[in-house]
Amino acid sequence: MIRCIEECGDGNPASVHHAGQRARRMIENARERVSNLIGAPARSLVFTSGGSEANNLAIFGAAEASPPARRAIVSSAIEHSSVLAPLARLESQGFEVVRATPDADGRLAPQRIIDAIDSRTALVTLALANAETGTVQELAPVAEAAAREGVLFHIDAAQAVGRMAVSVSELGCALMTLSAHKLGGPAGIGALYVRQGVVIAQQILGGPQERGLRAGTPNLIGAVGFGAAAEESARVIGEESQRVTALGDALLQDLGIEIPGLRLNGPRFGRIGNTLNLTFPGVLGESLLIALDLEGVEVSMGSACAAGAVEPSHVLTAMGRSAAEARSSLRLSLGWNTAAEEIALAGEIIPRVWRRVASAEPSAGEALR
Amino acid sequence: MNPRVLVAMSGGVDSSVAAAILREQGYDVVGVAMQLAPGASSSIGQRRATCCSHDDFEDARRVAERVDFPFYVVDLRADFAARVIDNFVDEYLSGRTPNPCVMCNREIKFDRLWRRAQALAADFIATGHYARIERDPHGRFHLRKAADGAKDQSYFLFSLGQRELARTLFPLGTMTKTEVRARARALGLANADKPESQEICFVPDGAYARFVERNVDPGRIRGGRIVDGAGRVLAQHRGVHNFTVGQRRGLGVATGEPLYVREISAERGDVVTGTRDELTAAGLVARGVSLVDPRLAQGGQMAVEVKIRYRHPAIPAKVRMTDVSSAEVRFSDGGPAVTPGQACVFYRGDEVIGGGFIERAIGI
Repeated sequence: MIRCIEECGDGNPASVHHAGQRARRMIENARERVSNLIGAPARSLVFTSGGSEANNLAIFGAAEASPPARRAIVSSAIEHSSVLAPLARLESQGFEVVRATPDADGRLAPQRIIDAIDSRTALVTLALANAETGTVQELAPVAEAAAREGVLFHIDAAQAVGRMAVSVSELGCALMTLSAHKLGGPAGIGALYVRQGVVIAQQILGGPQERGLRAGTPNLIGAVGFGAAAEESARVIGEESQRVTALGDALLQDLGIEIPGLRLNGPRFGRIGNTLNLTFPGVLGESLLIALDLEGVEVSMGSACAAGAVEPSHVLTAMGRSAAEARSSLRLSLGWNTAAEEIALAGEIIPRVWRRVASAEPSAGEALR
Repeated sequence: MNPRVLVAMSGGVDSSVAAAILREQGYDVVGVAMQLAPGASSSIGQRRATCCSHDDFEDARRVAERVDFPFYVVDLRADFAARVIDNFVDEYLSGRTPNPCVMCNREIKFDRLWRRAQALAADFIATGHYARIERDPHGRFHLRKAADGAKDQSYFLFSLGQRELARTLFPLGTMTKTEVRARARALGLANADKPESQEICFVPDGAYARFVERNVDPGRIRGGRIVDGAGRVLAQHRGVHNFTVGQRRGLGVATGEPLYVREISAERGDVVTGTRDELTAAGLVARGVSLVDPRLAQGGQMAVEVKIRYRHPAIPAKVRMTDVSSAEVRFSDGGPAVTPGQACVFYRGDEVIGGGFIERAIGI
């Protein structure tokens, strides 16, 4: 990435001159590295500004290109907001949207998705691993059903890629969303895999870049960083996901002993190992989150609203948790840069801080109304 | 380890400078902005419609970055709705004119937020209020008016007791507003010249009656009569929440002599008018009285000065506790219009003795 900035930071890959050609080589090289990670041909990848844009492009692009007889979309209630918000807009424009609900562990029943697919369906869009709970969905049967009905299948794999082996051919999807910063790459770059022959409508107009699917000068520096992160991720994914899963399991065990009533939101197995979504009894998640941050433990909760306060997670409420339980839940994420010593330390700090928060500001009662 | 202080920040210049001063003094400062009003948001292209907006929080966040302390937004909307807004609406429907800032200080900042402060291992809570807290050699805390008389906000703080004062810091109490702005500029704070908020924060357009109507079950709004002192009906009205005792305009009644709202009876739905002279009261009855200084409780009676509205000057009076949380106030020289629902705060010189909420006027 640094070499890229030095050599051709101002090169426009679409230009014919020398700097442009160098930039073009770099971006195509990056495209190849990223596509290798998901077992896709390089030319099927469209760089975007991130996972959210890729989801928007997939959903609006598929809806716009769908034949008039196909005006239904099948999805779930636990998707990322960059999926849910486009679906809500399409619904207001006359699309029928089916949102499947998960079981208590956040798993979607493939058969219920399949039952919702018919000849009126334009698109099925589902995340491979849930952003908040890490729950991994069983999508192969859905892909088969979608193929039978001639329906486009979009997988949001932003959360999964880098934490588990992901292959577009095995999953059998037409479209797949990727995000660079989830695998240690830079923020502000992502990609949409578009299988050869699949037609979706361009959403950012004004140029032929990215196979005519995304106008604008590509983010060269971001793409190069994305490529490097993807290559590294592909190299270490096996041992790294084992390492992180073991750390996560150890932390869960430590916390479970120290915090009576702690609940894991998500399946014990069948989850990407880096994500622990936990309900902490007797505290407001917001308070525990801030208290932990002040102690150097960074956790997250639901999603931030516009003003910066946190809202209870729609994923947890869809899993049957009450609003109060959702407000008592936090997400602990482990990354490639999380060390075993840090996990051991977190295992000491979190119970201590939880006890303090629970006694100073118990969540039962009025605060949760 | 340095003591930790949780500073309530609004995004305005006062609380920003308060935080910066405490940081300079060596406190371990944690800034928080409280999201109080429901549904606050201000996306680009939307008119700024309420307090607790994204812009205000961003102003506070920039101060925190510049001065270098952690900053968080805390969501207290449910508490604010239950403890401040509901009370505000109920008071208006009961024919009183509430002071939600007093209630917010008592219920939210110095109670609810204090519990959050303890959860965050803070030793103190601080705000940008203009008031002073002093500890005497016997370990007793005194709440005093600010050095800047024009900015003094001790009126809104009368409900703080010894326990609250012991854990509260008001870094601006000895400063003038001009000094605060100068300090903000010297610190390079972007909000140094930000205008002050004047209205009640959750009713930024000042249309209280409309706010009440939007926030209650319509069945609770009942029209009634505007009557004179003799009970003659002068006009009809659309709910007692549209009126404040002492109000002159907007009665919709044309008479020779200017008429004022003298009394509001929510039970009967009557708004009773009177002349200016008829507004004059001999004193008032206060409920929900709390005492900063327990001397009054011991003696039962004290010569004080009272403020019966924030912007009114203090006037001499005698206050007598009639039970543990009620007091009778007698003005020494006949008082101005007494508005039920407003706070009546007892002072001796610059010291706050205590205060309560006005229940009713005592006639001459």
